[in-house]
Amino acid sequence: MVTEHGIKFGVHLITKHFGKIVAKVCEKLFSHGPLTLDQLVRYTDFTKDQVRNSLLVLVQHNCAQAFVSAPQDDDDDADRLRVRTQYLVLFDNIIHRLRFPKFLDIVSRKLDEECVKLLVGLLRDGRLTLKQMVDRESQGKENAVPTKVVRETLCKLLTARFVERCPAPEPVVSTSFKETTTKKRGAKSAKIFEAPETLEQRVVDAAVPGDVIRFSLTANMGSNVDRETNSDDVPMISVEEDVAKEEQILWRANFEEFIRHLRHKVLIENVRTQHDDGTATVLSAVLEATGSVEKKVKMDNSVPLSLDTIITEVMKTDTGRTMTIDRIRASLVQLGCSPSMILEESYSIDLKKIIEPARNEEVESIVLKRYGRDAYRMFRLLAKDCCFHDTDQIAASTLVEKKEASKLLYKLWKDNYLYMEKVGATAGAKQITILMWKVNKPLLWEYVLDEMYHAALNLSLRMAFEQEKDEELLKVPKDKLREPGPLQKKYKRLLNVRLLMGSSLLKLDDALMLFHDF
Amino acid sequence: MSHLQGSSSLKRKRQDLALVTGSLTDGERVLYNLIHSKKDMGIWTGDMKRETNLPDSIVKKSLKLLQSKNLIKEVVNIQNKGRKHYMAAEFEPSKEITGGVWYNQGRLDTDFINLVKDVCLKYIFRQKVATRDGVMEWSRKSGVFNVEVTTQQIDEILRTLVLDDEIVEVKSTGFGDFSSVPVGRICYRCKSKGGNRGEQKPGAMASIPCGVCPRINFCTPDGIISPRTCVYYQKWLDF
Repeated sequence: MVTEHGIKFGVHLITKHFGKIVAKVCEKLFSHGPLTLDQLVRYTDFTKDQVRNSLLVLVQHNCAQAFVSAPQDDDDDADRLRVRTQYLVLFDNIIHRLRFPKFLDIVSRKLDEECVKLLVGLLRDGRLTLKQMVDRESQGKENAVPTKVVRETLCKLLTARFVERCPAPEPVVSTSFKETTTKKRGAKSAKIFEAPETLEQRVVDAAVPGDVIRFSLTANMGSNVDRETNSDDVPMISVEEDVAKEEQILWRANFEEFIRHLRHKVLIENVRTQHDDGTATVLSAVLEATGSVEKKVKMDNSVPLSLDTIITEVMKTDTGRTMTIDRIRASLVQLGCSPSMILEESYSIDLKKIIEPARNEEVESIVLKRYGRDAYRMFRLLAKDCCFHDTDQIAASTLVEKKEASKLLYKLWKDNYLYMEKVGATAGAKQITILMWKVNKPLLWEYVLDEMYHAALNLSLRMAFEQEKDEELLKVPKDKLREPGPLQKKYKRLLNVRLLMGSSLLKLDDALMLFHDF
Repeated sequence: MSHLQGSSSLKRKRQDLALVTGSLTDGERVLYNLIHSKKDMGIWTGDMKRETNLPDSIVKKSLKLLQSKNLIKEVVNIQNKGRKHYMAAEFEPSKEITGGVWYNQGRLDTDFINLVKDVCLKYIFRQKVATRDGVMEWSRKSGVFNVEVTTQQIDEILRTLVLDDEIVEVKSTGFGDFSSVPVGRICYRCKSKGGNRGEQKPGAMASIPCGVCPRINFCTPDGIISPRTCVYYQKWLDF
């Protein structure tokens, strides 16, 4: 579920990057759900060309996905003939646009400068063919860069799964939710794949090619592996044809892999602060070994590994080489893998348990700053216990004056940070009402996430405003700005403002990911 | 009746009671007996009037006289501070009346609580890890508090320090810092590096104006309250 301010922030990002018309189309897709081209024309009052171009921009930048809804049994002939291409806006991919610097940072640390350059192109243009990549690389150079060089760089990015083939342009998807798609995949795979929950998930899943073809450079391979998504496979094609076909394949950055990387980083850092470096090393080795087998980004538990494999993986790392088996085992116990939880001698780490304290900490820090230390203590008590407590109990456990306690609890409840229920009770002859308080985490987290989107939108708007305010400053020659005086002072302020707001937005985005993507 | 026959001190009390009440008027005596019977719970003036059926003026006058003779005292009832509550002078108010050990004159003794918190935190920081019993023993030996602090009080303080996120509860592993503590025993460890209170780093939301804004729900891009006109932003970006 995308929250109100999440949508506003998404639309804001689209406005900033692609202008108002595209943003309007995007907004309509958010408010109405998947729409056809004609419906969009009707809702937006734009010409068909304007809407079509906006959709093309959104698809090019992976912010929208077209799909064809599968005919249903009760459709009549007219229904069956009608064009069913609908467009679905992809919220996550829009917000990912905020994270491009982080994605580039990952590649610059894991791979080389060439890969970063290639990825910059992909992030800027959304989708590129090999030929377009070569053209981009050759720009401003005397001699054209050989295709082989670019192909090699692309190959590196593909092996690391940072780049993937673009999804199918218009997959056929059943929009009825009575039957699950798992049935189509056959009984065998039904055990592995869970039924997708939302239409968005279903469409995305249907469009993504199978893992083998998704990350392979060669054109003809894999088409047999994944019949579902690649219907145009032609057996026995010549090398020339193969090359020509290869050049037509569209590539894009694989956001999923980047988010997985960022999630792993957060998990490891949290374990480091909660426990120690050794435990962080063990977790890091486990995640490194299983990253490519993870079915989705939001894995509740790590993929099970045997102790032997874990030891081998840990010893591969620089920091892990010094660890004894006993220490590795102790670290696994610290990570919550108690012997009773071990299934068939394999260890699986509860990752949700690592994410949860990080989320709690973020919310608690808001409570501390907004409502003070007494409220912070009471909130932490309720968040820790996850059950109802009455006012007196809370006041006594946190050493807060009763009157003050009820005031603070009421404030927290009014601002949606607490959940309250009234319970009637009889004390002697009197009928009294007892207020019971609780932290309802799923509800609260959704609320906080919405507030964060709101804050991100505000930060971004204010940044634009500050930029606008001092626009003339940027036109002043640099030499003049270096001379002491009011101009220099103003310029320095602008630089400070930009730095503070930019870093705050990046930090806030970390928190957004913590609540939405992790 | 059995507990009245037994102890000699109770007998003496009864004699004393007879002695003191001898010089009282009827109204005063009735009132005193009632207050005395409530022991360490005391009684509210409203309840006195209802139970004794004495007129308002008599009750008021008698209470004044009894108080001047040091037979009764006025106490603050934590449940209802506005009501006048009386108790026989020989009793100490119960926990229900005072609010417990952390209350003084009907008010939470925050100065004392903070003092105990500070002292405990400093001790845990110095020790790296400390058990409840360790804190208790040290406080007793060092005589750091002027009054006696009970085990329950130390427990409560440690619990609130955990809730303050100043210390963390950990189980001893028997290695390193835990070497002096038996394995599996509950210990406390300081969270901050400096051993001072209130050192938590603010989160991403809490370090920007919107994170602490009381008006965020009224803030819209083009509204009266908007990020463009926001005073909190103005203050934040004032370099």
